[in-house]
Amino acid sequence: MQEDEMNDLTREYMIKFYPERCIQCHGCETACKMWRGLPYGVQYRRVINLWEGSYPGVKSHGLSLSCLHCSDPACAEVCPVEAILKQAEDGRVRVDTTLCIGCRACAEACPFGVPQFGEDQVMQKCDLCVGQALAGTDPPCVATCPGRALVLEEVTLEEKKAYETFVAKALKGNG
Amino acid sequence: YEQAIKVAEVRGEEVVPTVCGMCGPGGPGGGCGIYAFSKNGKFLRVAGMDECPNNRGALCAKAHTAPQWVYSRDRLTHPLRRIGRKGEGKFEKISWDEAIAHIAEVLLGQKREYGPESLAILSPAKRSYSEYLQRFAVVHGTPNYGHSGICVLQRVFAFMYTVADWPLPDTANSDLIIYWGRQPIYSGPVSSAARAFLEATQRGAHIIAIKPSVEPDAGMADTWVPVRPGTDAALALAMLHVVLKEDLIDHDFVARWCYGFESLKAHVRQYSPEWAQIITGVPATQIKGVARAYATCPRAAIDVGNGLEHAPSAGDAVRAIAMLMAVTGHLDRPGTNLLKLPPPKAPGDITLKHRFTRELVDKLVAPEFPKYFQPFLEGPTSAYYRIWESVLTQTPYPVRGIIAPGTQPLASTRGTRNVLAALERLDFFVVLDVARTPEIPWADIVMPVATGYETDHPFQYGPNWLMSTNRVINPLGPYKSMFEFFLDLGKAMDYGDDFWQGDITACMDEQLAPLGVDMAGLRQHPVGLAFSSARHEYEKFDRVFQRPSTRLDKGPFLPQGKVALYNTTFEQAGYPPMPEWREPPEGITATPDLTRTYPLIFSDYHTSKNFSASWQRNVPFLRELEPDPMLHIHPDTAGTRDIKDGDWIKVTSPHGWLRVRAQLYPGIRPDTVMLLHGWWQGCEELKMADYPLTDGGANVNIMYSVDPEKAYDPMVTAMTSQTLVEVEKCRRTK
Repeated sequence: MQEDEMNDLTREYMIKFYPERCIQCHGCETACKMWRGLPYGVQYRRVINLWEGSYPGVKSHGLSLSCLHCSDPACAEVCPVEAILKQAEDGRVRVDTTLCIGCRACAEACPFGVPQFGEDQVMQKCDLCVGQALAGTDPPCVATCPGRALVLEEVTLEEKKAYETFVAKALKGNG
Repeated sequence: YEQAIKVAEVRGEEVVPTVCGMCGPGGPGGGCGIYAFSKNGKFLRVAGMDECPNNRGALCAKAHTAPQWVYSRDRLTHPLRRIGRKGEGKFEKISWDEAIAHIAEVLLGQKREYGPESLAILSPAKRSYSEYLQRFAVVHGTPNYGHSGICVLQRVFAFMYTVADWPLPDTANSDLIIYWGRQPIYSGPVSSAARAFLEATQRGAHIIAIKPSVEPDAGMADTWVPVRPGTDAALALAMLHVVLKEDLIDHDFVARWCYGFESLKAHVRQYSPEWAQIITGVPATQIKGVARAYATCPRAAIDVGNGLEHAPSAGDAVRAIAMLMAVTGHLDRPGTNLLKLPPPKAPGDITLKHRFTRELVDKLVAPEFPKYFQPFLEGPTSAYYRIWESVLTQTPYPVRGIIAPGTQPLASTRGTRNVLAALERLDFFVVLDVARTPEIPWADIVMPVATGYETDHPFQYGPNWLMSTNRVINPLGPYKSMFEFFLDLGKAMDYGDDFWQGDITACMDEQLAPLGVDMAGLRQHPVGLAFSSARHEYEKFDRVFQRPSTRLDKGPFLPQGKVALYNTTFEQAGYPPMPEWREPPEGITATPDLTRTYPLIFSDYHTSKNFSASWQRNVPFLRELEPDPMLHIHPDTAGTRDIKDGDWIKVTSPHGWLRVRAQLYPGIRPDTVMLLHGWWQGCEELKMADYPLTDGGANVNIMYSVDPEKAYDPMVTAMTSQTLVEVEKCRRTK
């Protein structure tokens, strides 16, 4: 891959998460599920409680996690039928549902547990609600957040990479 | 609203602005504005209303799942009359009017034979229809409005009789905030309290959380005080001890506005931090540190939550905290706890307070507060659980008919076995709810009621917002709203003059009249009317401390016009004039002998991130967030018992046992385990079955003592949420 050249062209959008503003109400999770009409058992977004320290010096904070639309997506890398593609114009990682064979290699590869599978066995996940009939309003997970912990933003590649590192570290710390 | 209309347009849907109804069945509770989207008469989804000052466009997890609740397979859609024996669950469908006529006939018959007090109405959590229940009780002539003893009134009672107000924290202006037994997030994640909490953390206010386990709020706090469940009174008394011993008080305020200071000072000498450490499990150094930090910070506030209301010393815990506020000068000053005056305009009260009489109060079957202190704020009240006991003990007389409107006695109150026995024996039992409840098999009549999405009333009034409920979809069956039920029943019982002859619009309009609007006029404001709140006036001690009480004699809450550090009203009524420590029925220091068999403290959580009390476990997207009852257990405590994360475990107390799953939880006292209350309902959509209501299930109510001598606060009948348990791995796994 000619990574450096690609990066110059790529615009990167993401729903960024600000942990200090999250109260772990889980509103984003159910907003997503209702607005996207997701089946039982499938979640594009989940809120995780992360522990720090040990008793009695224990702290915790939330992590609202959905597809990061990674700078260099591991899921796309392993897909045997090239059904997963990172789009240059907005940095979104998209799934071509007509190509996906449901092998779940992406689920194995994704460090963030993002890929989901419904009854049709086709990979599905957050697509930043692009193409949803929202009349220009924010994605439902963003709109519903009481602390504005979720924000749809355009970021630089460096910022996205830093965010990937932050999430990976947070998840690792939680075992 | 315009954006919501656009969204509906592009999707080919309809949008109705209204009030969220997910805080409980039968009527809105939280007061969040929503835009409700529907298509071809089917309710699809919601979004938060930007114009509503309560939630400002945000919504919680529950709010979004409303359509799943409305269309749940557990939904009740037809009025039912029991045809099998009690508990069997055999019913026939009848019409709404037939059901009303039947209930009216039975209740009038019981009234003739046993007197009106033979009827009890169980209180739900405070909901928009609570006043209708009170009104019905008063018109019928019964004082037996059964308050649950689970929430709020313990706090309010203790505060009113100490500082004549429930002084809420001025969180927005505090430099130090103590969240004490309080869950500012789960109690309303999109409400002003949660928002204020978040803002306080971000502006760097010092946050102290006092509770046995780290929930998201305590996780974000600067200091966690891991108190043992049910021992908050000991902690508060020790903090008073420190503040008085070290003279960290506001001398001017104490001299001018406190009564009985020297008595209190002598009284709390016995409650040293070292004494409290043994009881509370909080190190004496931390007790001293928190007391000093609070007393010496000029802008410091305490937010007292429900967590400390479940103990035999619940009232005294709150009194001691109110005294802490007073002696340190943290009352009605910026950033402290504020005294409030009633708003200049409010909807009309419909509870017929002028008809409360001594005769009515004397008939109480189980006074929630001693009779001398009745009626309290909501009117005369009986203790919910002890109403059921009267059916069994026939003392002082048996209640013969019970209406349960949006409340679940088998899941929401203690002593489930006694409630079951009483259900078998009770003459007449009516359940009103949106969805199936656990006691329906014992009901004589089951009345389905509309969710808030299926009615066009009531109005929602928060101090800053007035909004009409607007109908999103038609009811799914031949039923009406909780409000209409009481109007229809009132009319059928010949109480029509007191029930607007069954006219719900007239009823709403009468209540709205003081606000200068009627329902039709209010509906002209699609997103309601927002009011700006008046500027707070500080230091209103002279006015607030003179406030008349709710008692029949209308004597002031504070006879001296000062903070009651020494309470002459309580003393004259035969209760301790100053707060004292009473052990829970079982505990490490209460019953040390028991700890050999039951070494761990057990308690339960009152609020959760995704369920309203014991409701809504049938809602698939909510259930997915928390599929199983999880016992929070410290990893070390689990490790010594060979228990791993997710294991099914048996939790045994001296009173019963539960079968639940273990969640290894670093943020809990290692000597304490805790479980969410309210587990009974399955979720058919996710193929999850109901849990047993007694042994082997997950109903925390069976775990606690119901010994009348030990399990209740003597003044406010608060029920204990503390016992001792042992935990072991289940051999049988699911």
